[in-house]
Amino acid sequence: MSDPGGARRALAERVLLLDGGMGSLLIAMGLARGEAAEAWNVEHPERIVAAHRGYVEAGSDVIQTNTFGANPVKLAASGLGGRCREINAAAVALARRAAAPGTLVAGDVGPTGVFLPPVGDAGEELFREAFREQTEALAGAGVDLIAIETMYDLREALAAAEAALATGLPVFASMTFETRRRGAFTMMGHALGPSLRQLAATGADAVGLNCSVGSGAMLALVREARSAVDRPLIAQPNAGQPRATPEGVAYDATPEGFARDLAAMVAAGARVVGGCCGTDPGFIRAARAALDAMTERATATEEAR
Amino acid sequence: MSLDHSPLLAAMSQSILDGDETAAARLAGDALASGVEPLDAIDRGFTPGIREVGRLFEEGEYFLPELVTAAQAMKAAMAVLRPALAAGAADRSLGRVVIGTVPGDIHDIGKTLVGALLAANGFEVFDEGVDVAIERFVERARELDADLVCASALLTTTMAAQRELVAAVRGAGLRARVLVGGAPVTHAWAAEIGADGHADNAVAAVDLARRMVAP
Repeated sequence: MSDPGGARRALAERVLLLDGGMGSLLIAMGLARGEAAEAWNVEHPERIVAAHRGYVEAGSDVIQTNTFGANPVKLAASGLGGRCREINAAAVALARRAAAPGTLVAGDVGPTGVFLPPVGDAGEELFREAFREQTEALAGAGVDLIAIETMYDLREALAAAEAALATGLPVFASMTFETRRRGAFTMMGHALGPSLRQLAATGADAVGLNCSVGSGAMLALVREARSAVDRPLIAQPNAGQPRATPEGVAYDATPEGFARDLAAMVAAGARVVGGCCGTDPGFIRAARAALDAMTERATATEEAR
Repeated sequence: MSLDHSPLLAAMSQSILDGDETAAARLAGDALASGVEPLDAIDRGFTPGIREVGRLFEEGEYFLPELVTAAQAMKAAMAVLRPALAAGAADRSLGRVVIGTVPGDIHDIGKTLVGALLAANGFEVFDEGVDVAIERFVERARELDADLVCASALLTTTMAAQRELVAAVRGAGLRARVLVGGAPVTHAWAAEIGADGHADNAVAAVDLARRMVAP
């Protein structure tokens, strides 16, 4: 089932297109306010398969399991304590069901939602234990790789990466940065370049950035990341900034503009690209077209020589 | 003040910038022992420190951990100074604030930070915690005769509850102004739901709250 060798080969050979946002798709399918998306892996499996299938059909090379909040700490906070193994295993099976031949299934890992001092009173041991439990559950259920994302504390990101690498699977690890006057930082104040270098030093197969910013802003960050770290780079921007409207929440990017920016990120050295909050299969379909056009141009240039 | 207390006042400000609770509490005690008026200790010692923290945060020099430790240091200093203030019969509260996250939202970090900074800046803060029912916000605002009700929503799925809260506070005929915050919340959203204000971050929220209660 699991094909870690295939994931490493794919990463070495080509640019990989990830999927896009999950939360907004589930909300459109009826996920209620305050309801944990992870519960749907068990309660509404067919809806999760449908969401994944949308991305597979749009051309994703890698789909990410619906397990962003499925570490034991976050599950307990969502009223799903003690169900880490069950929920992660269910989520992996659903992604597998939606996968096409050749689609890689990444076990998605997000932050615990608790904080180290001084912001909170969690200990690093809690992080290590939580990520060990979740990544072992994902690995045991047969994912091809682990994808850590939206980390805002470098110490938590490192704990997640170390736990994920201990499974023996390939690991993608990305953090979330905001642009401040002096450069890009996490909300804890970790600078982009040094953070990615430390993540790479764990042995993660690819490192990068996701969420917080739209594709235009992320393009600049990708350039900064490229000069900071020599490792395949991940970039998953949001669909612009979320805006509340009378009808609900809207994002201000178009799939075409987003796809253009993603292609520019690849040109700038990104190796694994996809979408985060507010992106849907339409964005990924546009990205697929833009990336394929890039490949065709490159091939044509090659043949003309 | 007959003596020159400026080195002491500067050290007080610095203890907030350093986020050093122990030093802040000790300096508050030193100030009282050496005859500094508690109001002067706050206005000329600690408050300039918390203002500078706010400036450094907006500049991108300080981040969440620095904001949190600064607020904790301010709280430690206030704990020492408050009894002395009461003895002077000076009610220094800028206003009463009821704060919490909206129903369905358990993300408490932004709310807690805003609450701590408001308290550090002289507001009386009643933190109702997370997942606070609309009725609870209204009930507390009524019994406290609150000046401000602050509601945080981190998720795009929970922010709609802010609209219900504004309507409930207005419907109950309370004088409290309603401020809304959280990552997805914008000025446009605040205007759309009829809230009295919105700030992008905890430091801006304190400025906004001060403006709201200004006579």
